[in-house]
Amino acid sequence: MFDFSVLVLVVPLALGIACGFLLRGRKIVNLSRITFGVILVLIFSLGFTIGSNNDLLTSLPSVGVSALVMALLAIGFSVFFVLLARRRLRF
Amino acid sequence: MIKHILFVLAVGLATGYFASNFVVAFPLSWVTYYLFDVSLLVLLFVMGLAFGVDREAVAKLRSTGLKVLVIPLLVALGSIFGGLVGGLIFGLDLFGSMAVTAGFGWYTLAGPLLTQVLGSQWGALGFVANFLRELLTIVSVSLMVKVDKYAPVASGGATTMDTTLPVIVRYCGKDVLIVAFSSGFALSIAAPFVVMAIASLK
Repeated sequence: MFDFSVLVLVVPLALGIACGFLLRGRKIVNLSRITFGVILVLIFSLGFTIGSNNDLLTSLPSVGVSALVMALLAIGFSVFFVLLARRRLRF
Repeated sequence: MIKHILFVLAVGLATGYFASNFVVAFPLSWVTYYLFDVSLLVLLFVMGLAFGVDREAVAKLRSTGLKVLVIPLLVALGSIFGGLVGGLIFGLDLFGSMAVTAGFGWYTLAGPLLTQVLGSQWGALGFVANFLRELLTIVSVSLMVKVDKYAPVASGGATTMDTTLPVIVRYCGKDVLIVAFSSGFALSIAAPFVVMAIASLK
């Protein structure tokens, strides 16, 4: 909507951390519930964006295979690196 | 958690499909731009707030020594390397594919963020790839724990601080709790920055 650059997204995160520091020690509302609520809204609009994009829907079958392979590769190398470090560095 | 997310995703998909192909009661951009961007900004703000307000969060990170720093670092490197290999296999843009796996399994972040930065095609790949990472981690915990105690933590990436944490602790033991949580925590904090940084190189 604002066509914001990527870096603008750092602002709410930094602002949130700053506000969190200021509010320390105070009893505030259940944040995980709010986070989950916002996640649901975000997921709905994500689904809506994908669902209303007909070009995207036709490409999803091909995305599925590469997504599965990408997930397996990310898991595989993450586990492999941790195993290697644990065996070699004994930590 | 996953049930709710899948349900809401399905409802969103169906609503979006009908809105674009049949009845249009309102401009699609109300949801695809306004609701989408505002909720993403609010989510990042609340995430920051939860981190800033948690006195123990930083102390938890320090308490288990080297593992706390080394494991998330290795998981981050492994994930990004996996993306590189995947990009080479499928002939994709390498920075794009590395940005996809740099979501570290946090699909609710990677999907929207990549849609915003690289377009909905990459967003879909980022969403599905990271969603499958979480799903595969939950499904395979009992197998992976036989390979190594910390293998499920590596597999879960950023999700080990919330969704996959209960399953991991159940199979790997209570002493893994702090390492799993703090690894997921560090990767969750890093994920938006790393995804944005790599995606901006494309």
